[in-house]
Formats: sequence, C-alpha cells, structure tokens
Amino acid sequence: MLAPAGRDAAVLSDLFWVMLTGAVVLWLLMNGLMLYVTRINPEKMSRRRAEVLILGGGVIFPAVTLAALLVFSLSEMPQQRAIGEGLIVKVTGEKWWWRVEYWPDPDGSPIVSANEIRLPTGQRSEIELGANEVIHSFWIPVLGGKTDMIPGRKTRMSLEPTEVGNFRGQCTEFCGLSHALMAFGVVVESPEDFKAWLEREATDAVAPTDAQSRRGKEIFDGSGCGACHAVRGTDATGKVGPDLTHLGSRTTLAAGTLPMTVSALEDWLRDPERLKPGAKMPAYDHLSPADLTSLAVYLRGLE
Amino acid sequence: MFDRFQRTRSLWHMVAAPLVWAVHFVSVYAATSVICAKSAATGDARAIIVGLGLLAISVIAFIGWRAWLQRDLDPDDPVVNQATDDHRRAFLGHVGLLLAAISAIGVTYVSLPAIFIGTCQ
Amino acid sequence: MNRNPTKFWRRWPDPIPHPKAEGVFPPTQAMLSEPVDPATAEAQAARLRKVWKLPTGAHYWTAVNNDQVGKWYTMTAFGFMLMAGLLALAIRVQLAVPDNDVLSADRFNQFFTMHGSAMMFLFAVPLFEAFSILLLPGLLGARDMPFPRLSAYGYWSFLIGGCFVLGSILFDVAPSSGWFMYPPLATEGEGIGPDIWLLGLSFIEVASIAAAVELIVGTIKCRPPGMRINLMPLYAWYVLVVGVMILFAFPPLIAGDFLFELQRSLDWPFFDPERGGDPLLWQHLFWIFGHPEVYIIFLPSIAIASMVVPTAARQPMVGYSWVVLSAVGTGFLSFGLWVHHMFTTGLPQLSLGFFSAASEAVVIPTGVQLFAFVATLMVGRVTMSLPILWIAGAFAVFTVGGLTGVMVALAPFDWQVHDTYFIVAHLHYTLFGGMVFPIIGGVYYFYPFFTKKMLSQRLGRWSFWTTFIGFNVAFMPMHIAGLMGMPRRIFTYPEASGWGLVNLISTFGAFIVAAGILIFAWDLIRPKSRQPLTERNPWRAGTLEWSHSVPDESWGVRSIPYITSRYPLWDQPDIVERMDSGRYYLADAREGLRETIITSAVDAIPQSVARVTGPAVCTLVAAFFTGGAFILPVFHLYWAAGVSGALAVAAVIWWLWTSTAQVPETPMKDVGLGLRLPTYVSGPDAPGWWAIFITMTGDATAFASLVFAMFYYWTANPDFPPQDAIHTNLFWIAAGAIFFILSWAATFGARLLNRRTLVKYARALLVAGPIAALCGAACLALAFWVSGMDPATHAYPALVAAIIVWTLAHVVLGGIMQLYCLAGSLKGKLTPQYDADLWNTTLFWHFLLATCIIAALVVGPLPRLL
Repeated sequence: MLAPAGRDAAVLSDLFWVMLTGAVVLWLLMNGLMLYVTRINPEKMSRRRAEVLILGGGVIFPAVTLAALLVFSLSEMPQQRAIGEGLIVKVTGEKWWWRVEYWPDPDGSPIVSANEIRLPTGQRSEIELGANEVIHSFWIPVLGGKTDMIPGRKTRMSLEPTEVGNFRGQCTEFCGLSHALMAFGVVVESPEDFKAWLEREATDAVAPTDAQSRRGKEIFDGSGCGACHAVRGTDATGKVGPDLTHLGSRTTLAAGTLPMTVSALEDWLRDPERLKPGAKMPAYDHLSPADLTSLAVYLRGLE
Repeated sequence: MFDRFQRTRSLWHMVAAPLVWAVHFVSVYAATSVICAKSAATGDARAIIVGLGLLAISVIAFIGWRAWLQRDLDPDDPVVNQATDDHRRAFLGHVGLLLAAISAIGVTYVSLPAIFIGTCQ
Repeated sequence: MNRNPTKFWRRWPDPIPHPKAEGVFPPTQAMLSEPVDPATAEAQAARLRKVWKLPTGAHYWTAVNNDQVGKWYTMTAFGFMLMAGLLALAIRVQLAVPDNDVLSADRFNQFFTMHGSAMMFLFAVPLFEAFSILLLPGLLGARDMPFPRLSAYGYWSFLIGGCFVLGSILFDVAPSSGWFMYPPLATEGEGIGPDIWLLGLSFIEVASIAAAVELIVGTIKCRPPGMRINLMPLYAWYVLVVGVMILFAFPPLIAGDFLFELQRSLDWPFFDPERGGDPLLWQHLFWIFGHPEVYIIFLPSIAIASMVVPTAARQPMVGYSWVVLSAVGTGFLSFGLWVHHMFTTGLPQLSLGFFSAASEAVVIPTGVQLFAFVATLMVGRVTMSLPILWIAGAFAVFTVGGLTGVMVALAPFDWQVHDTYFIVAHLHYTLFGGMVFPIIGGVYYFYPFFTKKMLSQRLGRWSFWTTFIGFNVAFMPMHIAGLMGMPRRIFTYPEASGWGLVNLISTFGAFIVAAGILIFAWDLIRPKSRQPLTERNPWRAGTLEWSHSVPDESWGVRSIPYITSRYPLWDQPDIVERMDSGRYYLADAREGLRETIITSAVDAIPQSVARVTGPAVCTLVAAFFTGGAFILPVFHLYWAAGVSGALAVAAVIWWLWTSTAQVPETPMKDVGLGLRLPTYVSGPDAPGWWAIFITMTGDATAFASLVFAMFYYWTANPDFPPQDAIHTNLFWIAAGAIFFILSWAATFGARLLNRRTLVKYARALLVAGPIAALCGAACLALAFWVSGMDPATHAYPALVAAIIVWTLAHVVLGGIMQLYCLAGSLKGKLTPQYDADLWNTTLFWHFLLATCIIAALVVGPLPRLL
C-alpha cells in the first residue's frame, strides 16, 4: 500500500500521508499540552477559559475536521467500487487456494486458471468473489482494498491497476489452519500483453516433448491425479483441486507458498502436509525419487 | 405518580436526544437494508434517509430548546455543584443540551452518505 | 377495614399502604454538630464490628464482603491477564523471524484465539466489575453492594468458567477459530474447542450481566443521603453508563451463542447457507456486542482517570457536565459502530456510510473527555505523582490509537488496512492506552485504599518507563507491517515479504513490555507486612472512599454521611470526624444485621434500610452447579448437565429463600438524626425490584436479537421463509397465547389481592397461574410438533424452534417463581404487608407476557406475511 500500483491504492496512500501528517501534528499538540501542564506547572487558568478549551478542542475542531474527512471518503467509496469496464474475473476461495475464472465476454465461456491473478493496466476490471466451506478475503495491497468471500453469497469489487509488475496478494480473513499460506501471485501487464496471455491461457495444455516429461505424464495419469486436477486437452478433468493446464507459467506454487521450480514441485508432491498443514492434497512419497522428478518436470513444463 | 417523572428530575428527558439519534440510526439502517434487498430503488432510500434526517434534527432541536430553558444557569456561577433542586435541574438541563448537540452532529453525519452514495452496491 | 356496600369490588378491603420514611430530612446543622457520647459510640462500633466480621479459617471463602470478593476478583482477572500475556509472547516468538516453526499452525491458532478471548472476556470486562465492586461502596459511602451474595456468585462463576476456558490450552484442545468465532469455520470446527468457547464464555457473560445489574442498582439506589445526581462521583457515572451498556451489548452475543451451540450440537442450520442460513448473521450479533465491548473496556479506565486527575490537580473536575455528556454520549454512539468491523463484507455502500459516519461521530465525546482532563490539569497546580504519570502515559498512547481510529473509521481506508497488522497496532494502542495504563495508574492510586499500604515509587517508575518504551517498540512497527501488507492471524510469513525486520523489533518490544508488567506484578504481590500503614487520605483527595479508617474496618464506613458536595472531603468540614463518631446514619447494628441505606434515584432522599446478606455457602454451591450446567454439555453429557442445572436452580432457591425478602422484626427503624425508615419495602422502591427490571431489560435484548434474526433472514435471503415452507399451527399458537395471558393475569391479580389482605384468593390464583403457564407451554410446543416442522432442514424452522425453546425456558422460570410466591405465602414469608417476592414475580411476568406474545406473533402469523 505504501508503493501503490493501482488507482485506488494511490488515492488511499495519498489520503494516508495527509492523515498521518495531521495526526502527528495533533498528537504533538495534545501531548505537548499535557506535558506542559503536568511538568512545567504553568499559571492557573480560569475555569471559564478551560471550558472554552473543551468546547473548541473537544467539539468544534473535531466536528469540522471529521466532517471534511467523512465527505472525502464517502465520495470516494462509489469510485472504488465502480462497475468494471470489460473483463470480469471470478475468484472463489477454497481451503487454501484460489479458483480463478476469466470472463473477457460475460456471455461467453470462462478461461479457467488458479492461484494467480493477471490484470491489464488502464482499465477497471470487475472482480466477482465467492467461497466454498469458509470465509476468505481477497486482497492485493498494491492495487486497492479487500473484499470478503463468503459461502452462500456473491460479493464484488473492482480494481484499476496503473503499473506493470509482479506483486503478491493474500487471504486476509482467518480461514483455518493454513490461512497464512493462502496467497497468490499478481501479474499486471499492458493490455496487449494481457490479451496475448489470455489467448495462450485459453488453449489446451502442451503435450510433453521429452522422455522425462512423457514419463511424468504417465505417472500423473497412473496415480489418479486427474481425479482432482484438470489439465485441459488430457483425460484429467478433476475439479476438486486447482486447474493445472498452465501450471508452469504461474509465478508461484501452492497458492503463493513456493517458487515455481522443479525442486519445489518435488517437495510439494512428496509432503504437502509439511509445507501446508491441513492441505487436502495427499502425499506422493511412495513414488521413487526418479518418478517424483519426472512428475515435477512434467508439471513444470505445463506452460 | 407524575411527580416521579417530572421533566426537571428525569434522566429520561436528559437522554431523550441520543434516544432520538438511536431510533433514527436504526430506522435509516433498516430502511436501507430492506430497500436494497427487496427493490434496489436507491432513489427511495436516499429520499427516506434525508427525510428521516430532517425529522430527527427537528425533534432534537425541540429537545435541545427545552433543555436550554431548563438549563438556566447563573452566568456568574455556571458550575452546578450544589445540593439543591435548582442545581440538579440545571445540571440535567445542561447535560441534556450537550447531548442534543452531539446527537444533532451524529444525525447530520449519518445523513451524509445519502448525498454522496447513490448505489446499494 | 373500609367497606363500601354498593359495588362488589368496592367491598374489597383497601390495599395496605406502603411504608414511607418519617422524620427529619435533610438534617439541620445543629443536629450534625451535636457530639456523640463516646461510650455509646464505642458500644455501637463493637456491634458493627461483630456484624461485619469476616469469616475465618476455611469459612473465609464463604465471605461476601465487597472488599474481599473485589480483591479475589481483581487478582484472578490479573492472573488470567498474565497467562494471556504469556500466549502473546509465544505468538511474538513465532513471528520474530520469517518461516519460523517454534509453534505449529494449529498451536499458533489456539494461542492467538485464546490470547484475544482471555484478554477480552477474562481480563478487560471482569476487571472493570472487580474494580467497581471494590470501589463503588467506598465512593458512595455505602456499607456494601446491594446484593453481596450475587457478587460472590459472579466471582465463583468467573473463576470456574475462566479456568475451564483457559485450561483447555494445556490439553491442546483450545478453540482455534479466532476470538470472533466466525462461522462456518467455527461451526464446522472439529473437536470441542468451539464448544468450550461458546459454553464457557456464555457462562462468564451471564456472570458479567449479574455484576452489571448489581453495579447499576448500587449506583442508583445505594448513594448516601443527599448525593443528588449532579453530585455523583464521575466514576459512578461511568459505572452507570457501562452497566447499562453491558445490559444491551452482552445479550445479543448470548443469543448468538445460543443459536451457535444449537447448530453445533443439534445441526440446526442458522449459519449454513446451504440450508437457508447465513454466516453473516453471526457477525452482526457478534459485533453488536463486540464494538460496545470496546467502550465497555475503555470507559471504566477513563473513570479511574477522572478520579485521579482532580486529585492530582487539587481541583474539582472542570466541565463535570461535559464529562457526563461524554460518558452518556459515547455509550449511545458506540452502539452505532458495529458494522465498521464488517466494512469488507460487501454490504450496501449506503449502510457502510452510516456506520462510517457514526464511527467518526463517536470521536467527539471521546475528545471532550480528553480535553476535560487537560483543562482540569491546567486550572489546578499539578503535583506529579505516580498515578498521574501512568495517566499521562495512557493519554500519549491512547491518542495514537484514537487518531488511527479516525483513519480506519473511513470505509475506503479500512478496505486497505482491515485485518492487517495496522489494525493490530491500532487496537493495542487503544486498549493499552485506554485500559492497561489507566488501570495500573488506578492501582497505584487506589492501592492505599484497598490495603492501607503504599506501592513502591521506585518500582512504579521503573515499571512505567519499561512498559511505556517496550509498548511503543512492540506496537509502533506493527503499523508499518500492516501498511506493507501483513495480514493478521498468520502463523508464518515468507522471507521475500520483507516483513522480517519490523516483526523482529516488535518481538523485542513485547519482551520489554513483559518485563515492565512483571515489575508491576512484583510490586503488587511482594510481602509488605513490615511496611508501615499509610495515612488516612494519602493523596489529599476529595471523594468519600478516602474517609475509610486506617487500619481497615470491614464495615466500610462507621456511619453513612449526609452529602452536600461533589468532593465532600474538601468541602464539608468535619465530615470525617462526624462519620467516625457515628454522628450520621446507621451508626449502630442493634439487630445484629448487615444494613445499608437505600435512597431515591435522582435526589438521593432516604427511602429505606436494606438488610444485606452475609457469608454463605449457597452461592458457592450455586456457582458450582451452574458451572456444571454450562460445562458438561461440552462433553455431550447432557443428562448430567440437566441434573447440574436443576441442582443450580435448587441452590439459588435455597439462597433466595433463606436470605432475601425476610420478614423484619419491626416495620420501621430509627436510623439516626431523627429519621425513621422502613425496614422492608416492596415494588419500585426496593432494590430487588430494580434488579429484576434491569435483568429483564437485558433478557429482552437477547430475545429481541432472536426476533431480529427472523427479519435479518428475510432481508438477506430472497426466499425466506421458503415458498413451500411448513408453518406452525396457528390454533395452538393462539391457545398458548391465551393461556399465557391468563397466567400473567393470575400473577398480577394475586399481587393485587394479596395486598388487599385477600390471601386465600391470592393463593388460589398462584395455584392457577402455574397451571395456565404449563398449559400455554404445552400449546406452544404442540404448535410446533403437530406442524411437522424439522429444525435440521432449514434455518426457518430452526429459528422458529429456537424462539419457542427460549420462550418455554422462560415460562418454566415464570412458573417456578409463581410457586415460590405460593410457598412463601403458605410459610408466612410472604404476607399482605411483606410482598416483595410477589411484586418481583409480577414484574417478571410483565416482561414474560411481552416475550410470549411477541414470540407467538413471530412464529405464528408473521412468517405467513413476509
């Protein structure tokens, strides 16, 4: 929030610096006064003047200042929650990861992804939020405010990124054991790059090319991974866990917990419980180290 | 019986203004919730909020005026710290007046959203 | 008897008039300056001392004197605070460096949940009650609280509940869903953690409400003669405001707990969206409690400051009316803030706007309060003492929290910082500055009043500076962590986040705070037997509590004074000598009974002498079994819990029967200074009647929360009640309502007839009343039963069932009260003249009738209209 990359965050950051300056001045005045009266023992003041101090400092000054702040923030609220201008991103909170769908055309079909949010600069994108099981909250600090994801309810917000870059988002509503490990990567791109990426994301998974990846795919199919995960263009169509079609092109693994590397994938497959307590993903520690590596290489290659 | 509840002795009169604030607050909150949930006619909600705000302010002004009359302080000795009926009466009036002022500020603040926010979203 | 032959009802005997005070009031100067014969005074003092003597040996624990119970209460709350502080240290150790694994995720979640829950429920609120039980009688020149056994009952409940809840952490089964217990996380939570939280803390909340009732009655009915409402010590004003706030803030949470526990144990889906429930309902009920709670914690500490500041300035408080305004205004406004904890839940922006506005408005009375302190100090000449140092520290810390509060009350800014460490910093600044610092200042100030010994100046200074510096080192960096994006309640964070340094500094600061608190704790408990007693009024304060004699006497005040000033010890010359010599009221205990004076609510005109209760085992027994009734269901031992509950009711009846509304030996007694007061009053002049009135107001608030739930579902859910829903049977609902009206009429009639000496008719009605109540209860149950509604299928039948269960439980209680009056009438405890129990039962039934009728409407015709 201190280094904003979106319109809303920038407004709030400016608001914060103004309020901070005011707060510091007020704090120094009030406590200076307190120090002065308790330590320096000034001349006694008349009770009449004291009552004027209470009226001025306690009622008139705050009533005016607060009214000004309130007017500013009330007029800012509709702008920060304005309806998006085109792209709709639907995000659903799971324990403890994010189901993501991009809807470039609200009447079309979605492009399914997970655990990463990509947004274009220069436009306000609509974010629709939901959750299964428990309450989560969706927050990208550098872009703007957060909104809760509540089972049985649809909530919404919108974001207007202004700076290109890689950022981090995180769940901010306590959602159980691995609440701390429910984050996601955020990639903000120029509208052209975003469009290109979205087209790529809509395609089916690339087929493995080298022998190790092909072995990895065999293990993937043979171990029943497809019961929970989907890899479009293959037999894996599970909906329980994150979509893996373009796993390798994401910036993080396990919802912002690990880097997207082969060794991190191996660690994750071997013992998810250690890396993310309570995760539903079973451990694949019965696979031989070589098989694990092949599986990891295959998954990393799903770009 | 009425002697028990006479105005100059009543704590209820002292807190009348904040009670109006509370009733006003609950009313605008309930009205907004129902309108936003059942009809989404935000224009109605805004009109109702402004109307309720004006109504509440008038009632509070009336209460404040009565409290002002009851207050009736001696300008040379505004501290009502004597064990007399007069001082107790003026004290309750004074606090009632101050509470009316705070309640009026509260009602004004709570009515502001209707001016700046036009949607239920 | 006055008989009129024309009309039937005119032939009834006239009601017995209520006795009124007789004689001289206010006392004349001549009466007050007349000396008391020393020999008489000595004999009186001996009798008083005997009456108020503390039980010794093992019986010590049956004591109910406010100074004893208050001390246990305070020390217990302080002990719980130290334990919750230890949990905080463990949390800080885990967060000191990125990717740390000192604590597992589960243990971390248990720790932060218990840290918050214990600090709120086992320290902050009970400490206010404990402190007030200790202080209030002193401030008001009363002998004791109006219901000492209720204080003791509250304390033992608190101890049992607190140990149970906090003890769970030792067995690794503590609640771990956060102190706010949001469903569905908490409803789906496995294990007994959520049940421990719900049932254990409900038990403590009930005890808190009991204490609040007692404090309100103490403030409005137990003031010394002459202490009109404009002369009340500011602390008492705050007690009154906070007591009333507890009454309206806690019941919604109790109602929420009730629904929550029904969902957990019987699977009634109040918060399950799949079956028509809504998780947000809990958030509303929780924060309707939770935000006023913050002010319930903050205001008492301000109250302490408002006692310390005038003493330090040697000046009456400037702007007394302003401070009262501030207390009352804050009390009201604080109920319009709750949604600011829910700014991110996607409610309509208009609604968010109201709560944002009210959250800003509440700053104004708080600011008035702070400026009143500064103004008072400016008018006087400050003699810097340790208490004022802590108060000044509180001021510095609290203003930071207040200013960040102004920021987070703005909804868009809150969207950014909500649930981040910025909030953690903000709330600790308000709670440390608004509670911990002033309370410790208060302990330094009042310690000589509690124990007649002084705390150490040197240790106090060390403790202050260590705590103050440590606090800022620990919590100032949390603002930055929050702004950098660090969410709350995370057990770990990655190195790449860049939050490592600020967290390490915070952890370092936390240990400095702990050191400061330990120094204070040592000062508090270090042996002081060789230390000399203090003088009588060491701070030269002006309020009544400093009139207590040194060494201490357990009677509180030797005689209850006549007050004409806000600062009697400054403005009323000779008051202490006259109190000591027994010149004032109730200087004697000729009948060997504990007594205090009851005065009118606004002008403090003496009305009666209240016989207050002495040491007792029954309160201990009652607290023990009440604890069983709340704790055993956690382990699904429902039968045992039911038996325990029945035993608790029996113990309470035993307690009431043997010690309340006893027929006095004489209807009037001489209390001194030419005043004769009734020894037994019933109806609105009696403290017991007020207690019932206040309790039932709280109870009605809880019931209103259940009714609110019905409307809430209707607005939140487009299909509520569902189109094809089965409704309750209207015939049986109507029949039930008629029986309840009959039972109420029987109770009311019994009271009227009994007062008119028609005892036989009154008894007949008291037999008819419970029968009608039972029939009504049966009808209400049948209305649900014959309709074939199943509470587990949908939130609608579940809520209907919950409202019916709630109503039935109250009807059973109403029936027991009718039978209690009947038994009293048969045993001669309740007579036409001495009929307080019947007045109280009738008052209960007024509330009960309203509950029953509203319940009938809400479960019967209303859902058909929605």
